[in-house]
Amino acid sequence: MLTLTRVSRRYGDTVALDGVNFTVPENTYMSLLGASGAGKTTLLRLIAGFEEPDRGEIAINGERIDGQPSHLRDIGFVFQNFALFPHLSVSENVAFGLRHRTHDALKNETEIKDRTEAALELVGLTGFGHRAVSAISGGQRQRVALARTLVCEPRIVLLDEPLGALDANLRARMCDELKAIRERLGVSFLHVTGSETEALTMGDKVAVLADGKIMQSDTPDLLFNQPMNAEAARHLNAWNIFDAGLCGAGQGQIAVRFDQIDVCAEGQVPEGRLTLGAKYLTGEFNGPTALSFFRADDGTLLQIIDHLSQPRLPQLDEGARYALHFAPDALRQFHGAA
Amino acid sequence: MESRILRPTLALYTVAFLLFLYGPMIVLAILSFQSIDGGPQFPIRDWSIYWYQHLLGMAETSRVSQLPVGDSLIRSIILAFMTTVVSTVLGVMSAEAFRTKFKGSGPAFYLIILGMMVPGVLVGLGMALLSNTLGIARAWWGTSFVLHVVYTYPFAFLVMLAIFNRFDRTVEEASLSLGVSPAQTFRRVTFPIIFPGVLSAMLFSFTLSYDEFARTLFTAGRDLTLPLAIYGTFSVEIYPNIFAFGVLTTLFSFTLLVIYGLLMKRFTAKAARFTGQEDA
Repeated sequence: MLTLTRVSRRYGDTVALDGVNFTVPENTYMSLLGASGAGKTTLLRLIAGFEEPDRGEIAINGERIDGQPSHLRDIGFVFQNFALFPHLSVSENVAFGLRHRTHDALKNETEIKDRTEAALELVGLTGFGHRAVSAISGGQRQRVALARTLVCEPRIVLLDEPLGALDANLRARMCDELKAIRERLGVSFLHVTGSETEALTMGDKVAVLADGKIMQSDTPDLLFNQPMNAEAARHLNAWNIFDAGLCGAGQGQIAVRFDQIDVCAEGQVPEGRLTLGAKYLTGEFNGPTALSFFRADDGTLLQIIDHLSQPRLPQLDEGARYALHFAPDALRQFHGAA
Repeated sequence: MESRILRPTLALYTVAFLLFLYGPMIVLAILSFQSIDGGPQFPIRDWSIYWYQHLLGMAETSRVSQLPVGDSLIRSIILAFMTTVVSTVLGVMSAEAFRTKFKGSGPAFYLIILGMMVPGVLVGLGMALLSNTLGIARAWWGTSFVLHVVYTYPFAFLVMLAIFNRFDRTVEEASLSLGVSPAQTFRRVTFPIIFPGVLSAMLFSFTLSYDEFARTLFTAGRDLTLPLAIYGTFSVEIYPNIFAFGVLTTLFSFTLLVIYGLLMKRFTAKAARFTGQEDA
């Protein structure tokens, strides 16, 4: 179990992390979702020991690791650019840690070879060992980077936007494979990403990092359906967040999911629904779904999603005003400032 | 098209430029094949390799004494070699240090660079005076060696600084995260990747030291290095044996360059793979 307690890190006047409390349980696929610049990578680098926190503690199974040199931490790291050793072949890349690590380096060439091949097989690269790392594709490099880390059997594997450098098709396939590989090994993965889809798909648990703090850490469905604060909701890219006063539902910030708002002409709102008026701006067709954008009276941008199989929006004219309405129980109320 | 005029003009200019650059060397090479009774100027009386034989001590004794280059050549090579090793090691180490910002890195940078900025005559004279004051004997392997390092170290340092500037730090971090110690990481990852740069730094140091004149002139003491020895002979009287010697040293330098080129080719093939990786 990896625990971060009140971890802070600042660069000059910029606060990257501000008292992060965070736990990655054993045998878990944890996604960490955050916008770019939110401190995701900093968090990973602190855990890996490439940088040290200004304050706070980092511990694995109760044993403090902050302050330890990174090569003694026994933590795997998969880089966004893969960071393969360009002067070594695929199998030499994978065998590198086994052969040269400070603790428990293997001397027996047969054992190194066996474990290297087993690792390459695990990631589906049997027979690629002799290739140069320049002679394989992006997805294969990703696998080599993974095999190189996994063969050393680290206590936890940190993945820094591991799919960011892959194209969309490959990304979807690597998602499944990453999950499967992790389940086979039983080691915890901490996967950092800026994509909410990726975070929700991959994670057994998903944590949202914003403003240098962990906003919420929950199972994907719980997080998606019941974000605890406006920041968490905002990162899921599925919630409209607006002032409660707009629909007369009290004070503070409230959120309603994109798919739970209906539209009708003003004055025709059905009984028992909360409502607000808004101007229709434009629509965006995404294939299986269509997004419609509205501007509320206080300038807030609202989005409504329509699924192609179950269209529920009326014909909309750009610039016209409509009544948006939703069931009272679709609303999530947040306490405190956003 | 403007290139119809521009390109031939540029080509002509380039040819002229190259001729100007290599003219002296070509003249020198031609004159080195002068016959025994010819002087160090045109016309060539007869083609021969007499002056090469004379240089290598294979000709019968003549009125011209043999060039005293044997010992000084060896001295120069040893000195250049020592300088190369020390400057390159220092250069790599300090460039490595400059990868992270540290207090006083600005002044430190300029202090290193100063070694190649100050005029050689001044440093040479200064060193001669200093060694006199301190009672240290001047010698090519002592006082001169120190100045050669002071002079070539900035070059090695700048080459390595440029190499580290585009070095991807994450490969080192990847190595650390695999449990490999910083020292092993340098040996197994950093050094192999920066090796082409190290090679360039070595070449720089070697050639700069090999034909260094001003600094050596004041500090070499009794035993001369090659440039000093040559200068010493032709300040008296010039025979074509110096030209023969010039041709031979040029060939030697070319051999060094070819070895360098071959090594570079081997390693840049790997560097090309490296950029390929970043593209993906």
